[in-house]
Amino acid sequence: MKLKRSLKQKKINMRLSIEKVSKNFTAQHGKVLALDEISIQIKEGEFICFVGPSGCGKTTLLNMVAGLETPTKGVVRQSGEEIKIPSSDRVVIFQEAALFPWLNVIQNVEFGLVRRMNVRKRREISRTFLNLVHLGRFENAYVHQLSGGMKSRVAIARALALNPSILLMDEPFAALDAQTRDILHEEIEEIWFQTKQTIVFVTHNVREAVRLGDRVFVFTARPGRIKKEFQIDLPRPRDTNSESVVLYAKLIQQELREEIEKFLKEEVDRDWSLKKANLLRPAGIDLGSGI
Amino acid sequence: MAKALIWGFKDRTFLIGMSVSIQRITIGYLISLVLGIGLGFLVGRFKILDETIGSLISGLQVLPSICWLPLAILWFGLNEQAIQFVIIMGAFLSIAIATESGIRNIPPIYLRAARTMGIKGIDLYTRVVFPAALPSIATGMKLGWSFAWRSLMAGELLFVSIGLGHLLQTGRELNDMPQVIAVMVVIVLIGLIFDQLLFSQLEKRLRSRWGMTT
Ligand SMILES: Nc1ncnc2c1ncn2[C@@H]1O[C@H](COP(=O)(O)OP(=O)(O)O)[C@@H](O)[C@H]1O
Ligand SMILES: [Mg+2]
Repeated sequence: MKLKRSLKQKKINMRLSIEKVSKNFTAQHGKVLALDEISIQIKEGEFICFVGPSGCGKTTLLNMVAGLETPTKGVVRQSGEEIKIPSSDRVVIFQEAALFPWLNVIQNVEFGLVRRMNVRKRREISRTFLNLVHLGRFENAYVHQLSGGMKSRVAIARALALNPSILLMDEPFAALDAQTRDILHEEIEEIWFQTKQTIVFVTHNVREAVRLGDRVFVFTARPGRIKKEFQIDLPRPRDTNSESVVLYAKLIQQELREEIEKFLKEEVDRDWSLKKANLLRPAGIDLGSGI
Repeated sequence: MAKALIWGFKDRTFLIGMSVSIQRITIGYLISLVLGIGLGFLVGRFKILDETIGSLISGLQVLPSICWLPLAILWFGLNEQAIQFVIIMGAFLSIAIATESGIRNIPPIYLRAARTMGIKGIDLYTRVVFPAALPSIATGMKLGWSFAWRSLMAGELLFVSIGLGHLLQTGRELNDMPQVIAVMVVIVLIGLIFDQLLFSQLEKRLRSRWGMTT
C-alpha cells in the first residue's frame, strides 16, 4: 500500500524520548507547575496512551512533543535530536478537529502539502487519504456541513497526508458518540498497522486507552507526574466491551480515581468524599472532560 | 416629490450627481480599505503598536469625520483631495479596528493546527490569519462603507461640488422642497442598496460558512 512509501527510508530507531521534562506557566496568581520531571521512552511504532485528570498537563506535554511549546526544564528528543520547533513529521490532531472553515474538505486535507508539490500531485495524495477515512464522496463539502465524526476523519486524513512518523492525538474522539468512536478506533488501528507510525494518544476515557494502547501512562493530578505505567498485553484488534479490556480498565481506573479525588477536593475546596457523594461510576465510563 | 424625482432623472442632474458621488466614494473607500486593513494587521500583529497607537485609533474614531474638513481644506485647499481626506478619515479607522479585533480573536487552535503542519512565516498570515479574520474584516468593510457615505454627503453639503450633497444644497437655495426630499430619497436608496445587498450579504455568508452564529 502507498502509505508505506517513504517511512522505510527514514532513519531506523526513530525513538521518541521525553527526558525529565518540566513545564511552568505564569498565571495571574503566580507560577503554576504544570508538569514535573516527566520521563518517557517511546519506541518507534509504539501506540502510547496518556490518561489523567483534566488539567494535569497532558495537552501541554503533547504540545512539547509537537514542538508547539518548549519545556521549562528537560528535553524532548526524536531519534536523538532535540525537538525545538514544530515539524510536519510530528502532527497533532486536536479534539476540536481544528479544520479550516474557509476551505472545503479536500483543500483542508492538502493544506500542509501546498508549498511542497503541484496541485495534481497533492490532490492525488489527499484523495488517497480521504478515501482511506471513507470520505471520498465529500471532498467538496464545507466544514460546517460535516458531522463531528466526519470532522475527526478529515482531521486524520489531513495529518496522514503529511506522512508524519509521529501522530499526536489530543482527545480526538472525546466529543463523539460511542458508536462512532468504536468505528474510529478500528480505523485508526488499521491505519496504524499499515503505516507503522508512532502514536501518542491522550484521552480521559480509560477503556479507550486500553482498547488502543500498547502502553498506558496514568498521570497524577497537577503537577503532572507519571503515576503508573501499564503494559497492555492483549491481542489486537480488541473489543472495548470485552472482559479483558474491562478488567484492565478497572485496574487503571483505580489509579486514576485517587487522582481525580485529589483534583475534586482542590476544585470544591472542602472535605469532599467521592464515596459519600456517590459520584463514582463504573470503570471505563467516560469521565467527561469536565472532571 | 415623485415628480421631482422623475424630473431630476430626466434632467440628468441626479444622474450626474450620483455618478460624481459614487465615483468619489469608490476612490475614497478603496483607499480606506487598503489603509484600514493594513493598519489593522500591523496593530494586531505588533503588541507595541497596539500599546502606543491602539487607544489613539479608537479615540479618533469617535470624532465625526466632517470635523476633519477644516483641516483638510487648510492642507489641500478646497478641492477633491480635501473631500477624499474626509471620506478616508471617516472610514479607515473603523475598518482598522474591526480588522484588528478579528485578528485578536482568531481561535488559537487554527494557528496551532497550521504550525503543527509545518506552516510558518508569511504563509501563516496569508493562509490562516487573514482568512480566519475575514468575517470580522467584512463587518469592518460594512461599517466603513456607511461611515464613508455619511462623510461624503456631509462633505459635499459643506462645499462646492457636483455630488448629491451639493444637489441638496442647491435645492435649499432655490427653496425647492420636492427636490430636497427627492435627493434625500436617492441618498437613502444608494446607502441601502450597498449596505443591504452587498455588505450585509457578504458578512452573513462569511459568518455562516465560518461556522459563526449571529
Ligand atoms: N498557556 C497557558 N498559560 C497558563 N496556564 C496554562 C497554559 N496552558 C495550560 N495551562 C495550565 O497548565 C495545566 C495543564 O493544562 P493542560 O496541559 O491543558 O492539561 P490537560 O490537557 O491534561 O487537561 C492546567 O492547569 C492549565 O490551566
Ligand atoms: Mg487537554
